[in-house]
Amino acid sequence: MIETPHYLAFSFILYMIGIYCLVTKRNMIRLLLGIEILINAANFNFISLARSIPSLIDPLALSIVTVSIGLAASVSAVAVIIIVYAYRHYGTLDVRLLKRLKG
Amino acid sequence: MFSPPIDILLIFAITTPIIGWFAERIKKAHMCGVYSSVGLLISLWYIYELFRKVASNGTQSYPSFFSSQLRIDMLGVFMATIFVLIGIFASVYSLRYLEKDTGVPLFHSLLLLMISGMVGTVFAGDFFTFFVFWEMMCISSYTLVAFRKQRWEPIEAAFKYLIMSSAGSATLLFGMSILYGMCGTLNFQGLTIALSNVGSNVWLYVSAIFILIGLGVKSAIVPLHTWLPDAHSAAPSPISAMLSGVVVETGIYAICRVGFTVLMGIEVQWLEVLAILSLVTMFVGNLTPLLQTDLKRLLAYSSIGHIGYMLAGLATGTVLGLTGTLMHIFNHGIMKGAAFLCAGMILYRLETREMKEMAGIGRKMPVTAAIFALSLFALTGMPPLNGFISELTIIMATVEANMAWLGVAVIINSVISAAYYLRTIKALLQPITKKEVEEAKEGPLVMLIPLLIMAGLIVILGIYPDILINFARSAAIALMGGG
Repeated sequence: MIETPHYLAFSFILYMIGIYCLVTKRNMIRLLLGIEILINAANFNFISLARSIPSLIDPLALSIVTVSIGLAASVSAVAVIIIVYAYRHYGTLDVRLLKRLKG
Repeated sequence: MFSPPIDILLIFAITTPIIGWFAERIKKAHMCGVYSSVGLLISLWYIYELFRKVASNGTQSYPSFFSSQLRIDMLGVFMATIFVLIGIFASVYSLRYLEKDTGVPLFHSLLLLMISGMVGTVFAGDFFTFFVFWEMMCISSYTLVAFRKQRWEPIEAAFKYLIMSSAGSATLLFGMSILYGMCGTLNFQGLTIALSNVGSNVWLYVSAIFILIGLGVKSAIVPLHTWLPDAHSAAPSPISAMLSGVVVETGIYAICRVGFTVLMGIEVQWLEVLAILSLVTMFVGNLTPLLQTDLKRLLAYSSIGHIGYMLAGLATGTVLGLTGTLMHIFNHGIMKGAAFLCAGMILYRLETREMKEMAGIGRKMPVTAAIFALSLFALTGMPPLNGFISELTIIMATVEANMAWLGVAVIINSVISAAYYLRTIKALLQPITKKEVEEAKEGPLVMLIPLLIMAGLIVILGIYPDILINFARSAAIALMGGG
């Protein structure tokens, strides 16, 4: 039987993987995937905590996760549009080369 | 469905592209801008109606499906008034500002969606509704920053903004999920009751850290501020005014709401953290603009400094401090909005943001330069103007709460900020060297009208601050009194 602490540990690890991806990766698409991993860590946490009460699944958590998946999809749609335009301007997906703005 | 002001904004946001399509057929492209401004005005009228209801009957709630709900108190009405007011100015200003751009109906539609997202965020009564409207605001602001997609700068700034801000939103969602796991509910009042039984628990600290980081990215608290100068200077000027004047303040609102209702149990600890963050934010936000030569970047950096002042008022944790913070949110929206719109006017005439290249523009555009100087003086905190009143309230609150060191830091920062604001005014008044400046003329009347109204508000709220103080105090009491 998998207990709640295991699920929590898994979602924390997933969150850390997302942060690691955002910090180290240089490709714009991979950065977007990092964001998706972060959102999925949070979604997973919601679902795993909703089952902490036995024999009852809370509809609140499920509705939040459903809406959150939709929001994540729209964020990635906007991000992909921006990436396409960035590719047209720079001819590359490497964020290291996008350094004309000074921090 | 979601209270009259948001309904009106959403209906107008959906119908604006249709009106814009017809307007382009009959060669009257600015008609959709007029239409969206009318929508904002109607929404402002409904907010006034709500204000009267809330003032006489107390908190209003609008339950809807999936256990999400809106709970409107005085604080929500206060914030919504600022959002819609600055939104009207930005919308009227964009009528002429965007005349050379394509996709203007979509711009107005996104602007209305962003405003309805912000109004929904402040009306939300639980974390679920809050998060949905929060993301609506974020997504439309990413698109608006990248609006001039034919240039490289907005695209790069928007990508940076998108990655940082959506990582922040995901962190906020993670913090919410831990709170949900502890309490089984996401309603603000339900969380307050449930957490008062739990007491201080290690998971409460973990979720508080996640939520503070998530909100801190959006409100540009210092270690998380790097997206702000890029995004705010690359966006079209009316959007810069919206982002700097109100979108960043939505983050401050969220910290107030979450801090003073949900995290009441560990109040003492997070107020100290906020005090330290406020000090760092203030100094970084006021020392970096000293080196800037780009007008809009300078204004964007100075917004970080003003976020520091707002956090200083928040860190006192008293009604007076919160009143000061809310007043500063209102005044900063108007002052910084006016400053960005004036910078946009210079950009519209000269097509440059470098301060060297606009030397002497004040001689050719006297009205714009006068309003710009007025708003910069107000941002410094000069006595008869509105910035002075709110900064004074914050300083008084810090002294009252035995945190006088924070008040002294606010005073020192006002002095530092005077250095770069005066340098900007000096650039406006220098002798003219460039031919472009010699040929520039005063901006169009449609763009000057919102600026004149804002200048009027800066002076009036400085001389007669009573109405604003009372409004802000009732909002602060509504939050602190748990109501």
